[in-house]
Amino acid sequence: MGGDKTKIILSITPPLLIIILLFYGGIFYGLVQSLGYQPAIGKYEINFDAYYNILFSERYAKLFWTGLALNLWVSFVSTFLAAVLALFAALAIRKTFFGKTVCNFIYSLNLPMPHLVVAVGIIFVFSQSGLLARMLAQLNIISSPGDFPVLVKDKYGVGIILAYIWKESAFFFIILMSVLQSLGENFEELAQSLGANRWQRFRYVILPLVMPSLFSASIIVFAFSFGAYEVPALLGVIYPQMLPVMAFEFFLNPDLNARSEGMALSIIIALIVMILVIIYFWLTQTRIRKD
Amino acid sequence: MTEVNIVNLIKNFSGMTRPAVDNISINIQNGELIALLGPSGCGKTTILKMITGLLTPDNGDILLDNQSILSVPTEKRNVVMVFQNYLLFPYMNVNENVGFSLKMKGDDPKVINKRVQEMLELVKLPDIGERRPKQLSGGQQQRVALARALIANPRLLLLDEPLSNLDAHLRDEMRELITSIQKKLGVTCMFVTHDQEEAVLLADKIALIFDGKLQNFAEPKEFYEKPINVSAAKFFGGVNFIELNKNTNYFDSSIGKIISNQKNVDELHSKCIATIRPENIKISRENIYQDNFFKGKIKSVIFSGTHTRYKIVINNLNLECSLQSLGIQNINKEDEVFVNLPKDKIWIMND
Amino acid sequence: MNQNLKKINIYSIYLGAFILVLPIIAFFINAFSFRWFYPQLIPKELSMQAWVRLKLIPREGSRTLEGFLDLWATNPTVIKALINSLTIGFVVTIVSIIIALPAARVLGLFNFKFKKLIIFLMVSPTILPPIAFVLGLNINFISLGFSGSFFGVCLVHLVPIMPYVVLTLTGIFANYNPDFEYQARTLGANKFKTFYLITLPAIAPGMVVAALFAFLVSWSQYLLTFLIGAGKIMTLPLLVFSTASSGNPALTAAISIIFIFPAILILFFTSKFVSGESSATSGFGKI
Repeated sequence: MGGDKTKIILSITPPLLIIILLFYGGIFYGLVQSLGYQPAIGKYEINFDAYYNILFSERYAKLFWTGLALNLWVSFVSTFLAAVLALFAALAIRKTFFGKTVCNFIYSLNLPMPHLVVAVGIIFVFSQSGLLARMLAQLNIISSPGDFPVLVKDKYGVGIILAYIWKESAFFFIILMSVLQSLGENFEELAQSLGANRWQRFRYVILPLVMPSLFSASIIVFAFSFGAYEVPALLGVIYPQMLPVMAFEFFLNPDLNARSEGMALSIIIALIVMILVIIYFWLTQTRIRKD
Repeated sequence: MTEVNIVNLIKNFSGMTRPAVDNISINIQNGELIALLGPSGCGKTTILKMITGLLTPDNGDILLDNQSILSVPTEKRNVVMVFQNYLLFPYMNVNENVGFSLKMKGDDPKVINKRVQEMLELVKLPDIGERRPKQLSGGQQQRVALARALIANPRLLLLDEPLSNLDAHLRDEMRELITSIQKKLGVTCMFVTHDQEEAVLLADKIALIFDGKLQNFAEPKEFYEKPINVSAAKFFGGVNFIELNKNTNYFDSSIGKIISNQKNVDELHSKCIATIRPENIKISRENIYQDNFFKGKIKSVIFSGTHTRYKIVINNLNLECSLQSLGIQNINKEDEVFVNLPKDKIWIMND
Repeated sequence: MNQNLKKINIYSIYLGAFILVLPIIAFFINAFSFRWFYPQLIPKELSMQAWVRLKLIPREGSRTLEGFLDLWATNPTVIKALINSLTIGFVVTIVSIIIALPAARVLGLFNFKFKKLIIFLMVSPTILPPIAFVLGLNINFISLGFSGSFFGVCLVHLVPIMPYVVLTLTGIFANYNPDFEYQARTLGANKFKTFYLITLPAIAPGMVVAALFAFLVSWSQYLLTFLIGAGKIMTLPLLVFSTASSGNPALTAAISIIFIFPAILILFFTSKFVSGESSATSGFGKI
């Protein structure tokens, strides 16, 4: 058994070391710096000033709280809509019809597409002189670009939400297709023979069956959209600003004192995501225990 | 209480050279328990799906009490199916599972609770209502599935391989439960299976289907004693076949003259085939010079507990014979014996 | 199903598919038309000017093989970024597979103390945002001298990639029966032959998925490359981002098309493998 133990330790150590040193090390170093310990500019004291400044100071508080609100709004709405749209798409597409393979491919197309490109694509389609505006102009529904609503770089985060829906609905779609495929249609056929109509089959059979997968995929998507940088950096506005962009800009600020605030903000983002995931696991664990 | 009529049912699938269901007609009386028996791919599940309405037939009709149900949507047919793997909804407890169809109808929760309890008592599981499907054994799951189907008072109950997922010792128990409940409620019932033993154990009558065609629809006993052709005989474990040429009042074969007192001799073609079940063949050391006596040689002796099987060769024809081991004569390999094929036990059919 | 409902169903699927490909259509129109004025739906003329400006295609008149080679020999930014992206992607993919393989085998086949803790530590980068660790790490890398280096960028790319590669391969090994290896050894195969003839074929499909996934994550990485590369390592996503911010749609579209090409190619060849059960799929959400 001694040999086994050595083998296990030797095999596990390299990847674990990479994660611990780079990932946890990075977080730890960020945490330390967020507490004001910055030897580079001669600060060795530990305090919570950066956190206090972000949460309560006149200078940053408004920026932070509106940013947090925008973050929650964007993540909730885009996660929910992407999940719902993907569910309907998956339910519609699993039946055989002409062009099924092609449609399947197109619906999965955004899965490997980088977020950055999706964001650029949203600009091309939804900006005031974008493809959609041109189509409406051709149909004489609008006459000038100004008639088209501001959907990109708008203060409600519509462009960001659109980009996440585009990208993450493909992710939900793939997951749902595989869940539906492994479930087969027997449960629905059974429910139908027991007298359930179309709506009842959706409400009492399909929805509860796909809910666990849909829920855990939602957590992944929510956590990602809450902490990602690229999409809001390209499609967002300066105020209100999503937290990851804000953290990054604090960090790049030539005033090195703002660096602590940037670090604090990134720690706050991580904390919120972590709390969310813990709540999720707590919910699923209690559900499993009830079973 | 429903009479079921399946009339000239035909179903084709694209990509198949023959119809999946080929002109099948079956009449099922009130309260009968019928088996659709056949190897996998024979079309029996397709028939089931057409009865539930999940598939539409290309031709023919399905009548319940002389009324066609083809235009009635599945959920309004009140034809309930119990799937082979039970398919209890994993996110519901037993009570919710059993009460499903009443909830879909929009019944009052109090009424549902009362009916659920009745049904669970009927399947002899009165105390498990709060449990989840995962916490039940296979046998319990099947009973719950049965209760869930019966609560709707189905006009026709369909079962998919009802015994095949159960251990041998549970099979007897479940067979008794299904037949007793079925007779008690008088519900007309049809099940599909590929296992002739399952069909024989449960069914009042068996519809044997090969390649989408109905071979025979009769009581189980008949499939053993009077099979309609060689494939049907083989499906029910027949192993002894003798090619015959019909003569005026006897048959010629490679081992000699064979006499039968079968009544339907007129229907037989000039070339036909005789079969006899191994347990009906008699062996003796002496020649009694009766009809259907042949001299043969024992090729092998296989002791299998209560019975002993002998492989005998007569003039290049191999036959198998099975005798009770108890009080057996001392017959060994390579012994010469006389084989009797009793004329009331031999069955002759067209191929 | 009701026939009308079925038709509505199918038409809405087609409509959805059309909406989903709109951005791709926009990319191609933008990339091959230099002056695409509002409200034209279709540009008046095709133009390769964006590609010429990016020094990917020579000016009209010199579009011969020699012309292409001469142009590319001047080492235009896009080609440089493309080569950087490819090199980093390949290095990170190979390194991550080599490091993850033994760990995944152990995690998939054995039960031991702290296994759950180790898996928890290993997968946490999949859920926590990269901004949480990269800001702190950046300062560390600067003091270690990794910042702005090829090595530093490769190292930091390992963080988002490693968890998925380990998870995917662990899944493969969890369904793998090592008795095949013992059988091969008893039949006279040595350790190397056993790995080559027994283990490798069994895990190859999973390994391909893991590798493609690792490559794509590295290929799409913006934030980590930007911070750790410190402006010295230019990759395609950095180029897309800066071009998009500066607002020339034609150039942005042209670079984007090069950028998404491997993604579509990989999806095309792996749509069979990519299913919801593969843990790599959940990683695609993060690209």
